[in-house]
Amino acid sequence: MNRQRNIILTAILALVMLLPNFAKASGSNEEGGINVKEILFHHLGDGYGWEVPFSHTYRIPLPVIVRAEDGSWHCFSSARLTKHVEVVDPATGKVHVETEPQIVTIGKGDWADRYQFVLAHASKHKDKVVQLLLTSPAEEKQAEEIAKAQNDEIVDGFVKFDGKYYKEYKPYDISITKNVLALLIATVIVTAIAMSLVRYYRRKGDKAPRKGMGFWEMLIEFIYDGVIKSTLHDKAKKYASFLMTCFFFIFIMNLLGLIVIFPGGANLTGNIAITLVLAVMVFVVVNVNGTKHYWKEIFWPDVPLFLKFPIPIMQFIEIFGIFTKPAALCVRLFANMMGGHMIVITLTLIIFIFAMFGAAVAGASAVVSVLFSLFMLAIDVLVSFIQAYVFTLLATIFISMSDVDDHHELHKEAEVIDNIKEIG
Amino acid sequence: MELFTPDFGLVFWMFLAFIILFAILAKWGWPVILKNIDERADKIDKGVEYAQEARAQLDSARADAQKYIEEAQIKQAEMLRDAAKMKSQIIEEAKNEAAKEAQKVMDAAKVSIEQSRKEAELQFRNEVSKFSLEIAEKMVRNQLSNDKAQTELVNKMLDEIEKN
Repeated sequence: MNRQRNIILTAILALVMLLPNFAKASGSNEEGGINVKEILFHHLGDGYGWEVPFSHTYRIPLPVIVRAEDGSWHCFSSARLTKHVEVVDPATGKVHVETEPQIVTIGKGDWADRYQFVLAHASKHKDKVVQLLLTSPAEEKQAEEIAKAQNDEIVDGFVKFDGKYYKEYKPYDISITKNVLALLIATVIVTAIAMSLVRYYRRKGDKAPRKGMGFWEMLIEFIYDGVIKSTLHDKAKKYASFLMTCFFFIFIMNLLGLIVIFPGGANLTGNIAITLVLAVMVFVVVNVNGTKHYWKEIFWPDVPLFLKFPIPIMQFIEIFGIFTKPAALCVRLFANMMGGHMIVITLTLIIFIFAMFGAAVAGASAVVSVLFSLFMLAIDVLVSFIQAYVFTLLATIFISMSDVDDHHELHKEAEVIDNIKEIG
Repeated sequence: MELFTPDFGLVFWMFLAFIILFAILAKWGWPVILKNIDERADKIDKGVEYAQEARAQLDSARADAQKYIEEAQIKQAEMLRDAAKMKSQIIEEAKNEAAKEAQKVMDAAKVSIEQSRKEAELQFRNEVSKFSLEIAEKMVRNQLSNDKAQTELVNKMLDEIEKN
């Protein structure tokens, strides 16, 4: 036992010592430093392809779907946006492959007949697909002059590609990007979980499911009984489907984000677009189901007259509140999940930042940062659940506050909120 | 700050994915699951209740059985006692009856013996009187061959009668 452990430890340490060399070979550029911000934002952001482990050049190609300036839709593989070029390192003479953006041309003939798309780099729409428009030499010159004047190569309305300025058009872009695919995978997983339970019930009747399905059933019961039913009481059935869909969708997306390789790795719930849509859904459900009492509380609340009559202070606050409540949901989920991802990536990057101080320092920092990022990932699993839970809980409370019948119930909800505030 | 500006494509797909997921699960997913969980919980509650009832019933049945057994034992003892009493009574009665019958038979026998004795006596008397009359006749015939003797005898007899 002891000997085995020693061997394993030695192997790990040896690997750790080797890590900085890999880092030097792949992560750093000629200057020896690494662009932390760029790596960070690349991992947190979206992409047209899906990275695979151990390769810097190959991406799983995904379809790009864009609407050109004249209103026609175009679909092509994201692999066409880049080409592989062999680069010779002048210092060592080694050859390695790098990717470079290239123009995707659809259709033949003149500029007027064909559509050209490119992955923008020096443009306002960085890392997005833009359409290149027919540019006269005069316009090109003008753009160059503007760039020179502002001492920045990014010119409004133009994209610089291969040293030339083109007029650009940002098309409507509904590409199946990395995040969209991850989203669809999450949808399939949630459907599969629910449907496997339904199928189980159909087959086995009232026999309780065990193991995996038992876990999901337990979670469903936990959310339904603990959150939805205990807050909404007899209205629980009406909103259960919406709230459960919210919870499981968020939970699965959160967990998928923590898996490093292919089916996961996309920073979904740490993307404001995703949380925005979720928050808008909650906003719609809350306000569509708002009762007369709910609207009365907003436009004529039970407060002293001077607070609401000549200057509508309370009305202003209440109307503001309608929007801040879902906005808080949106930002909370986004910030929590993005923060978690950011910390783990930064901790990993520490290895490469310290790599320049030599192998020993890098090795030591590797051990520390791996331990820390493992710890953070474990906490993120907890956070994944908590954030999904909190989102559902707050959505439930907002619904219960809007779908009220009388004063009595409103007070009860106020009590619930007080309790939650105490816990928080 | 691209992190804080929602991307149109992602919003579009997210909206679509959420609506589709919601539609599927609201129709075929959650209601079925929740209904099933509720029903199962109800069934388990009922099962527990039923088991408790059955147990109570079993307990009371056991008590009942014990009571019946005790009652039966008491009854058995009573019956045995009654039977014993009845036995002795019957024997007693039979004895009495037998004694009575025997008495009757004996009485009848006595009567008949008395009767036969009286008959025999009567017969004997008749015989004796017949014999004595015969003897007397013979004797009288011998003695009363003369008149004197006859008169003497008649006198003597008369004396006797008078004396009496």
